[in-house]
Amino acid sequence: MKVSDVFSYAFGAIKLRKLRAGLTTLGVVVGIAAIVALLSITQGLQATITEQLQRGFATDTLIVSTGGGFGMGPGAITATESDFKLLVNYTEIIDEIEYVDMSAAVIQKPCYIKSGEREFMLSVVGVDFARYGNIYSGTFVAESGDIPLSPENEMVVVGKRVSDPWKNGTIFSNVDDAVEIIWTNASILPPKNETYTGQVTAVLEEIGGFGIGPSDSNVYIPISQAQSIFGTDECDTIIVQLENDDEATIESVSEAIDEAFSGQVSVTSSTAVLDTISSVFSTVELFLAGIAAISLLVAGIGIMNIMIVSLMERTREIGILKALGMKSRTVLSIFLSEAVIVGLMGAAIGTASGWVLANVVARIFSGGGGFMQAGEQAAAMGGMTITPVLTPTVILGAFAFGLIISVIFALYPAWRASRLKPVEALRYE
Amino acid sequence: MILVMTPVVETVNLRKTYMLGKVPVSALQGVNLKVENGDFLAILGPSGSGKSTLLNMIGALDKPTEGKVFIEGVDVSTLNDNELADLRREIGFVFQFFNLIPRLTARGNVELTMAIPGLGKAERRKRAEELLETVGLKERVDHKPAELSGGERQRVAIARALANNPKFLLMDEPTGNIDSKTANEIIELVKRLNEEKGVTIVVVTHDQHITLQTKRTVQMLDGLIVQEKVN
Repeated sequence: MKVSDVFSYAFGAIKLRKLRAGLTTLGVVVGIAAIVALLSITQGLQATITEQLQRGFATDTLIVSTGGGFGMGPGAITATESDFKLLVNYTEIIDEIEYVDMSAAVIQKPCYIKSGEREFMLSVVGVDFARYGNIYSGTFVAESGDIPLSPENEMVVVGKRVSDPWKNGTIFSNVDDAVEIIWTNASILPPKNETYTGQVTAVLEEIGGFGIGPSDSNVYIPISQAQSIFGTDECDTIIVQLENDDEATIESVSEAIDEAFSGQVSVTSSTAVLDTISSVFSTVELFLAGIAAISLLVAGIGIMNIMIVSLMERTREIGILKALGMKSRTVLSIFLSEAVIVGLMGAAIGTASGWVLANVVARIFSGGGGFMQAGEQAAAMGGMTITPVLTPTVILGAFAFGLIISVIFALYPAWRASRLKPVEALRYE
Repeated sequence: MILVMTPVVETVNLRKTYMLGKVPVSALQGVNLKVENGDFLAILGPSGSGKSTLLNMIGALDKPTEGKVFIEGVDVSTLNDNELADLRREIGFVFQFFNLIPRLTARGNVELTMAIPGLGKAERRKRAEELLETVGLKERVDHKPAELSGGERQRVAIARALANNPKFLLMDEPTGNIDSKTANEIIELVKRLNEEKGVTIVVVTHDQHITLQTKRTVQMLDGLIVQEKVN
């Protein structure tokens, strides 16, 4: 029997039981759609995050912090827990190290920011504007106003979202506005509110996404001012600008810093963080695809179940076909063709609906406005646009997977059908 | 010079034992039968006499327990699964319960038989229509079995059986499920095929009307041929 005849015969059999075939196909559709949606979203997310991280923190920087911090993945030298404190003036030690261009200390505390009637909980970051701006020359850039290089104490630089939190032009704080920063000092009893009034001198350009560097929802004050408000010389991190981003440079500086502080700090390179993130993403992707694959497995069992039922119903038909001189392998290929048709239709519809689903989900995620919706974290996420990525590999993989699952689960029923003896099959009621 | 014709079908000491649960049942107990080219043979006998079993053996649908079946001189027991399938393409079956594929039209059923050996679409369509015309169903080619009467269905089955120019036709109670008037028409059709087209026909039947038309009858009882008669 010709291949085209086998397929048209199989197709006729499927067409006869549309609802049943539709439901069987639906199983495959759901599985494939889940895989395609999850993969294209995670790949899109990864692309977005990687791109923004690369913009957000330069590859020729290192981040020094106490304790575990970013200490994950290769390139991170993790310190053990101790009473060690990272002080602002340690930048002087780090600046002396070979290949280090400069370093900048960062003090970061959650504070209430008040402007007019409105109040938000945000991160206030104390940095040396000149040094910080030099290290993050791509992102710590004023959109309006000027970032003062030797700032007066009350000068404040705000991120784009602090200026325009709703993304609609309703301004929370703008250049020349006064903002009130309220920090609750919980280290003394009873806790005391420290209030400080600053003057916005610059609004940063929109950065988008999130990184280790500047963020759209941060408020920046001079480091000396931060030291006096927060009453501490301790900083959270020290950002180190290297002369270049060679692996050897990163390694040698990391080791030198570690040595200088007797192993009590963590040194993380941006590249290490990027590597870690992409490896985390690969794991997440694999995990999600695995979960989706389970639904395809269930679909496969559905196919097998339906085909066994169909085999019972069609025993007599198989007997007739064999009496007419059909070979066992042709009977086998008819049943497998039915599975191939179901698998292909499922893969096609599944890929298309997975893609639609991915876009809908991406739109919901990206549509978020400013930070007022779900606090600061969402603000960072909200600024990010996920564009689902559907690679040819994913499409091909989806088709191959749908097809393979369908055929594998149809093998047994098809084989049983082909083994039927004509006399017995004809006698079957 | 004497021309010795090989019989179309020959069975030698044919035996078949079934297991009915744990009880062995001897359906055939040594049947010797020859069917020559152009023959029109009726096999008669009460239920359980082994008629259908014999027909299945001749049709290469089943294998004997003992003895041999030769079809045009070829020992069927030496054939493998694929060769048996090829052989069945050259045998035309007509069943008591028609055994048409319900979802295919009359033409589709006839075409399917020709699609199995791989005949092209246009060719088999043309031939299917010719055959359906021969059996008097020219106007009903696009009807499905459910839309046809018993007699019409049996005609489709006969057209289907003839599709691949078989060596012979095997009919199992072809008039068993249709009314007597239609049965007579079917008998006429079968007789005409034998007389005009020279088709060799073996028919298992209870129907006296058929036996009156055949060239030869054999009577079976308890798995043996007990009487042979030339009409």
